[in-house]
Amino acid sequence: MAFTIGPAGDTAMRLSFQEPPSPRLTRLLLQLQRTAQDYFFNALSDSVVGYATLTLFFTPLSLQRDQVAAWLEKTVRSLSDSQETQAAHSKETVVLPVFYDPAVAPDLVTLADDLGMTIDTLTTLHSATPYFAYATGFAPGFCYLGTLDPRLKTPRLSTPRQRVPAGAVAIADQQTAVYPCESPGGWRIIGACPVTLFDLAATPFSTLAVGDSVRFEAIDEQTYRSLGGQL
Amino acid sequence: MRTLTLDKAGLASTIQDGGRLGILHAGIAAAGAMDPLALKAGQHCLGHHAGEAAIEIAYGNVRATPSHDCALVVTGAPAMLLIDNESVPMRSIQTLSAGQTLTIGPPSEGIYSYLHVSGGFNTHPIFNSRSTSPREGIGGLHGGYLRDQDTVPLGDGAPPIDTCGADPGLCSIEQRDVLTLRYVPGYQYDELAPALIQRLNGDHFEVTSKANRMGVTLNGPPLKTGVESLLSEATCQGAIQIPPDGNPIVLMKDRQTMGGYPIPGAVIESDCVRLAQARPGQKIRFAACTPQEADNIRWLEHHYVETRLR
Repeated sequence: MAFTIGPAGDTAMRLSFQEPPSPRLTRLLLQLQRTAQDYFFNALSDSVVGYATLTLFFTPLSLQRDQVAAWLEKTVRSLSDSQETQAAHSKETVVLPVFYDPAVAPDLVTLADDLGMTIDTLTTLHSATPYFAYATGFAPGFCYLGTLDPRLKTPRLSTPRQRVPAGAVAIADQQTAVYPCESPGGWRIIGACPVTLFDLAATPFSTLAVGDSVRFEAIDEQTYRSLGGQL
Repeated sequence: MRTLTLDKAGLASTIQDGGRLGILHAGIAAAGAMDPLALKAGQHCLGHHAGEAAIEIAYGNVRATPSHDCALVVTGAPAMLLIDNESVPMRSIQTLSAGQTLTIGPPSEGIYSYLHVSGGFNTHPIFNSRSTSPREGIGGLHGGYLRDQDTVPLGDGAPPIDTCGADPGLCSIEQRDVLTLRYVPGYQYDELAPALIQRLNGDHFEVTSKANRMGVTLNGPPLKTGVESLLSEATCQGAIQIPPDGNPIVLMKDRQTMGGYPIPGAVIESDCVRLAQARPGQKIRFAACTPQEADNIRWLEHHYVETRLR
């Protein structure tokens, strides 16, 4: 497995793999993250898994670059050599209900047009695919899910929206996601999910975590409303 | 309960401390004071511990009244201070009696001033920090920017210790024609066109009015990367993000934790602070430095701060 190790600013180190994202790579990154947390302990303030990267943030003045680089090098090799990284700590698939309807999805009609398919086909393709959670971030509880059916591949809006409502189910490139809270955003909105994805009072506070399997399930307006969905 | 009422809350005032660690993976930015030096200076004046919060004020224009007598100090961007109608100096302890009014005018230079009150602000900490992340609605008084007539609870203030009392002179505001931002190359540095890197290192940029706690957008020769987006990965403070329009954005305390735009490197923390206090129109140049140089600068500045605070 080809990878590079380099700095991310003055207090973080970044490990980047030169291979396309895959659940296998993500599981390796997650295992590396846990190993790093145990090894560096308090010196490590944060660690973030990306599609093909792991970024380790150190508390100021505690980063010893050469040592971290050498440790990463060694640990990556030993983990990727050891048989399949902990083949999926088989968590159940998270099922998220989605109301696919132009009333809550401003891009649904134009997108179906652009892709040359009916709204039904579009939403069936979106809900038929099982997704894998590759990364969290951007906003609390936001989870990058892949991989979209290639027939749904679509560019982002050229001008992002100032305001995307909480619960918006959106797609961009080959990814899909649910916006957990209101935020700006450039992805195309194709539905609305009435489930709260981020709640500081809950444990865990985020419904989705990296490594999860996720599936969307189409619901009708009545179910959407009964689950607390707003039009 | 001792409180401080903001008769006028100002443009973008938030409660901030050093920020929160350990939850970047959940998509929550660290937040924290844009000018940690000014925060530290005020904590030192009042004999506060390093975790105590202050009200971060952007561009002044705040008026506040306490419920009880209290000691306070204002650090950071220098502004005119009035207690009732009497002018008092910044960066030294003032006593404000119950019902008196403190007015903080617009700063003459810089952007962020910090109002520290003895005993600190006693809002509910979230993940060990009182810092406000308005985008996420986390921390501070009610998760957002302070509003007119907000009443902020104060901690039980011991009188400030005599040996402190004056701002140790920590300052992040620099009057320079061109502010140099040192950055550590990394991320996609090697993958970007040499001509683009040359422009980044050689040309002048300017701070635009699109500057806030999330990031500072610069204007200059467009840095066209030809890259629309990359696989999302963690961003770090100071990351120089180049969106398709070619105007770089230096990511600050409330940055989004993940990004998919090319990043040639990240500005070192000490220069992020100078950038935070730089106003629109300030000329900027970038200078690459090695990670080792960045470490040396950090150690030297750490030593400088520690000796000033003795």
